[in-house]
Amino acid sequence: MSPASLVLDRLVPEARDGRPALGRAWLDAHGLPTAKDEAWRYTPVDDIVAALLRSRPGPDVGRSVEPAVLDELVVDLGGPRLVHVNGTYAPHLSRTDGLGPGLWVGGVEELRPKRRPGTAPADEPADGFHALNWAAGRDVAAVLVDADSTPTDVDRPLQIVHLTVAGDDPSSVHPRTVVRVGPRSTLHVVETHHATHGASVTNASTRLVAADGATVTHHRLLTAADDAVHVARVGISQLAGSTVTSTALSIGGAIVRTAVDARLAGEHARLDVSGLYAPVDAQRHDNVVTVDHAASHGTSTQTFRGIVDDTARGSFSGHVIVRPGTVGNDARQSNPNLVLDRRAQADTRPWLEIFADDVACTHGATVGRLDDDALFYLRSRGIPAERARQLLVEAFAGAVLDRLAPPALRDHVAAVLAARTPGGGRGD
Amino acid sequence: MLHIHDLHAKVPDGKTILSGLSLDIGAGEVHAIMGPNGAGKSTLSNVLAGRDGYEVTGTVTLDGVDLLDLDPETRAARGLFLAFQYPVEIPGVGNSYFLRTALNAQRETRGEEPVSAGEFITLLREHLAALDMDPSFLGRAVNEGFSGGEKKRNEILQMSVLRPRLAVLDETDSGLDIDALRIVASGIERLRGPDRSMLVITHYPRLLELVRPDRVHVLAGGRIVASGDHTLAHELEADGYAGLTADLAPAGASTGTA
Repeated sequence: MSPASLVLDRLVPEARDGRPALGRAWLDAHGLPTAKDEAWRYTPVDDIVAALLRSRPGPDVGRSVEPAVLDELVVDLGGPRLVHVNGTYAPHLSRTDGLGPGLWVGGVEELRPKRRPGTAPADEPADGFHALNWAAGRDVAAVLVDADSTPTDVDRPLQIVHLTVAGDDPSSVHPRTVVRVGPRSTLHVVETHHATHGASVTNASTRLVAADGATVTHHRLLTAADDAVHVARVGISQLAGSTVTSTALSIGGAIVRTAVDARLAGEHARLDVSGLYAPVDAQRHDNVVTVDHAASHGTSTQTFRGIVDDTARGSFSGHVIVRPGTVGNDARQSNPNLVLDRRAQADTRPWLEIFADDVACTHGATVGRLDDDALFYLRSRGIPAERARQLLVEAFAGAVLDRLAPPALRDHVAAVLAARTPGGGRGD
Repeated sequence: MLHIHDLHAKVPDGKTILSGLSLDIGAGEVHAIMGPNGAGKSTLSNVLAGRDGYEVTGTVTLDGVDLLDLDPETRAARGLFLAFQYPVEIPGVGNSYFLRTALNAQRETRGEEPVSAGEFITLLREHLAALDMDPSFLGRAVNEGFSGGEKKRNEILQMSVLRPRLAVLDETDSGLDIDALRIVASGIERLRGPDRSMLVITHYPRLLELVRPDRVHVLAGGRIVASGDHTLAHELEADGYAGLTADLAPAGASTGTA
């Protein structure tokens, strides 16, 4: 039997209609990715499959999670909040009163009657893990924004929390988020994923659609215990004149793979996607970003920064496609890496497929250590070596963290990061 | 205050840069060190501040405390300050935040209470005005994109805030136009006092006309070869270093004098 069949037999013994059936059919036909797949080159995919095959579907423990416990694990931004625990909506942890005008939130049951045929762009799994998310996922955190609406502001974003609570046995969870923002509307949404201590595999999918002229700010933060495995796919579709700012941060997790697939399907779309990954110990963090300029006059920037310590490995692949027949596209990419230990490894790979002549495309990557001159300068002013290293690491991360709003989110991430990377003082 | 005795410094490839340097600076005194390129001036400032990469022997004490065994941050907390010849740009670290972190780190090491953000800003604004620096400068990253003159003024600002016992000024006058030089010199003069000593390392006597030293020393071949009062600086300008360094050519090298 193929790994995909083994995984389905173990995790999704019962066949279900609708999206789960589509996922199952796709998996049956195409299987799970392997180490030979170019897009999975830096991900220890066999280890993820093995972890899935040791796992059981995450227990439905949402009701047993006290609000106070959640507050210790996940930053609370104070606005409306949808909380899913092990892939299932937890109403007692959520806040859905006082939603802004034109904003609708719900789960799989509430979403079904709202579905209007022909409004969604064609949607098909990007790979076997995405298909597994469809096949095995129980629920969805759905966010719909009407046309011409501004239901959130930067100080009070909508927060979507996906909590993976590991059980006594290794658990697997398949959280799904869908965000559709109507024409000329504005939404600020923050997705926080967290995995508690214990062996777990979280296989998450986020779909984000920005209609004509929509403006979407989307921050995705993963904080995970050291034994957690996390596979994420963020699919972004942009129509004409839309603006999407999306940030993906991963802190913690034994194996983390974050894929961002963005398609600029309408003209004059603007995308700014950034990320930060900070693996320590023997963690593996892989980031694969694909920006597909399928229409003319699009602008995209990819800014991913890696901070790699101990024997960890952090990777970034930045894929840019500029379709034939398009004009005036501008795609930029940068991937600076800070390597804090001689044993740590950073991989960076630009991957450009440009099929148009009238295009501006730049990419730049660096892999470096902390600047000795800067360290000495700070120490000569009385700042202890460890604090000086931390300051320099924070400054490096700051280029991404400064994009985060509201400030409470930025401060939270900075604090988590400071606790995870004590400035490279270890092992070197 | 500062006592340096028989100081030797080698770089890892074995080249000797300081060879038996001795120097005493009393409390409140300003001494100048002049010398030709390659005399060891920057090595002296690096060794005093505790930079890695040198094999050092000899004695350096500040107020009786042996500095050579201390790491750079502890030397700073003990009252040593080095104004860098080439101040380092640190993107992403705000100037004001950096300086308050430094001040409070030193105070913590000395067992003193931290300075609050409000007190600190008040303190900083006074010094900024004295150095003719724009307050917008506080929000910028440390030295990033600063002109040469702004970097040197920033060093004097840091010195003003940190109030060291001993300030080592490494070619602080280099790269300054005459107006910037006056501002920097008056900043140095303001800090002159009975409890603070200074070691001014320079190529040119220009700065020493504005900051009159109590003693001038000539560093050549890794040690002090001549000392005198401030008039020595003018003699050097007129006559150059050749007369003082002619006998220092290493054995085996050409002994011709310029």
